[in-house]
Amino acid sequence: MPEERRNSHSLAWLAVLYAGLIALPYALSYSQQEILVFTTINVLLVMSYRLLTLTGEWSLGHVVIMGCGAYASALASKALGLPVPLSMLIGGVIAGLIAWALSYPLFRMKGFYFLIGSFAAGEIIRLLWKRFRDPFGGPKGIKRIPDLGTIEIGGFTIDFYEPVTYYYVALAVVSVSLFILWRIERSPIGLTFHAVHWQDKLAESVGVDTRRYRIQAFVIASFFAGISGALLAHYVGTINPNRFNVEEMVYVLTWAIVGGTATFYGPILGAVALIVINDILLRELGFDQLRPMFYGLILICSVLFLPKGLESLVPRISRLVRRGNHNPSPPKVQPQEGAE
Amino acid sequence: MISKLLSGMVSRRRLLGTAASVAGAGALGSLLPVRAFAADKVVKIGFLAPLTGEVAAWGKPGLDGCQIWAEWVNAAGGLTIGGEAHQVEFVAYDNEYDPGKARAGATKLIKEDGVKFIMMLGGDTWPGVQKVAEREGMLFSTLLPSDLSPDSSTLLAPAEVHPIYNVTGVEWLAENKPDLKTAVMCAQDDALGLPSVATYLAAFEAAGIEMLDDPLLFDPATTDFAPVVTKLLAKNPAIVSLDTCYSDYVHPICEQLFQQGYKGQIISCTADFYEKIVEKTSKEFMEGFIFQFPDFDDPALNGEQINFQRPNEFYAEYNKRHPGEWGAVSWEYASIMDLWKAGAEKAGSVEPDAVLAAMKDGGSGKHAFGDASWWGEDLFGIDNALVGDWPVVVIENGKAVIKGFKSIPAWYDKHGKLLVKHMEALDQMHYQRG
Repeated sequence: MPEERRNSHSLAWLAVLYAGLIALPYALSYSQQEILVFTTINVLLVMSYRLLTLTGEWSLGHVVIMGCGAYASALASKALGLPVPLSMLIGGVIAGLIAWALSYPLFRMKGFYFLIGSFAAGEIIRLLWKRFRDPFGGPKGIKRIPDLGTIEIGGFTIDFYEPVTYYYVALAVVSVSLFILWRIERSPIGLTFHAVHWQDKLAESVGVDTRRYRIQAFVIASFFAGISGALLAHYVGTINPNRFNVEEMVYVLTWAIVGGTATFYGPILGAVALIVINDILLRELGFDQLRPMFYGLILICSVLFLPKGLESLVPRISRLVRRGNHNPSPPKVQPQEGAE
Repeated sequence: MISKLLSGMVSRRRLLGTAASVAGAGALGSLLPVRAFAADKVVKIGFLAPLTGEVAAWGKPGLDGCQIWAEWVNAAGGLTIGGEAHQVEFVAYDNEYDPGKARAGATKLIKEDGVKFIMMLGGDTWPGVQKVAEREGMLFSTLLPSDLSPDSSTLLAPAEVHPIYNVTGVEWLAENKPDLKTAVMCAQDDALGLPSVATYLAAFEAAGIEMLDDPLLFDPATTDFAPVVTKLLAKNPAIVSLDTCYSDYVHPICEQLFQQGYKGQIISCTADFYEKIVEKTSKEFMEGFIFQFPDFDDPALNGEQINFQRPNEFYAEYNKRHPGEWGAVSWEYASIMDLWKAGAEKAGSVEPDAVLAAMKDGGSGKHAFGDASWWGEDLFGIDNALVGDWPVVVIENGKAVIKGFKSIPAWYDKHGKLLVKHMEALDQMHYQRG
């Protein structure tokens, strides 16, 4: 397919996708709209995590970095009285700066050691939040975090307490963030991230400073994780150190593993599928208290039967669809006149 | 639409009902939640607490207790509102002790299930729900009065005044074992542990018991308690306070105290599933262990002042259905329902504002352990905690025994300033929170 045609094809699909995403809340119940907001925020979290994994490093501190953004944004709006959108941006920047500071000790390690080091760094940050009640609120965290409030436009009141309204805000922020992440991955920097992962010795041999690129990925990923934390803090109105513990990190890991990280959409598939199963389907089916068991079962099955993640299903499905389109059922052959 | 499709395809009731039929109303049938099919009118009550995860021990047993409560009330004709009988049905939502999920659960219970009252454990989850409560005007209850604040007029703490009742255990200890004069304390460093630390510090100071060291705050993720206990015992204390540790901590700490040869006094807020601790240690080791939550087969609960309905039968029924699962919260949510039911019948309405007004009418209420007053202005900024007497429980020969009831307001009248001092030192007063 020529590139121009492929682009217009992709744009058409994107337009359809966004039309669906804009209409989606109206197809859901109120509580499902609430879950939709959290899902959108989690999509940004897991996608920022994927950027880090491009360089081959898996962190156990990503949720704590999300928490850094949440705390920074909450404090900027509550203690300093800054507008919420500006606070969110500050949340992302602070998360990125903390990641940059952490990168110096952490990127002296690689692989498994980096994993453990990131966990330790995350726990230190969580302990600081607990220890310093001023300004972090200690174990109880920060409450009454300012929200986006209401806006009056031409007689209409837009109330950001409502999940539908906040979903559109989150969708806009996440869309812009994903676009930037996508552009980064397609840029020479993104290609270098891949090289750092798969051919780090070769990359070094041609002069690539692999440590610098790992740090870049870590800082950029942390900025967007911080933005996701800020989105969460200003919606729920409260944050505490337990919200960013290793248990939450395990969820992010499972979304990434179940979805797959080879493609841009893999972690999104993983996060959306597992959140819908856990928070909507299993609850609707009345398995409220059995959800951890089913969740575990689904994880085991996905690892056993879909080792390359849910993303591996997409090419298979599209091949099937394409095959169906290209091989329509053969037309019935009309017998020629006179033929027996 | 999706929710409608889902409910159209496989509603919970249909799925469970079909499964029960297939099973011949056998084993699965006994697991079905109590439903009031026969009644014309049903009042739904929300149960928004952790039913899974590490805090589930303070949610799930409460829901089990509520199911027994609902069966008994419905069998006795249900709730009488304006001369009409209403059956009571519980709708549960597992909030996993997460504020975000608690918010989603609260909106579901209010907007989709149409509940008239929501019971919560509270703690970390309440701030996520607070805005919903204010917007919707829904009546909520919490087991943790530290959630109370002047901003939330529709939040009540009608069952327990955690952690203030812990003063009664220390007061009893000082009266009955006056030779024990030194103590150490450990607690998990979280929203439950800290106000309790302040309370025990105030109670020890009031009782003239010296703290040998600062309270040892451990991280909630701690699994190895050997170093914690070693540090506690290093000062050779006469009393070890376990504060309000979750049962996941109380058990291993007691095991460690036993293994490290401690023979002194232990005092704790809870001792859920204490039989297992006795099994892992010994009757002798656990003899004299003081805590605050009785087994409801205790004869002392048959006294005239007790307002909880048929406590001994409730305990027997609970243990029949859920053997070995009786815990601190097994009766508490049910006791809140007693108060709510009385309020609704008095108001002649199940609407939250009417029930709230009826419950608080006259400034007093019938608490499970006796008549009590709506209290809390000093500590919480609002009189929304129902406070009166609280039992002191001691393990004797491997079994929990109520040794007496002591008045919380009477202690506070004498030593309230101490409590405020320690609460302020740990930033636990309502005007210091978050």
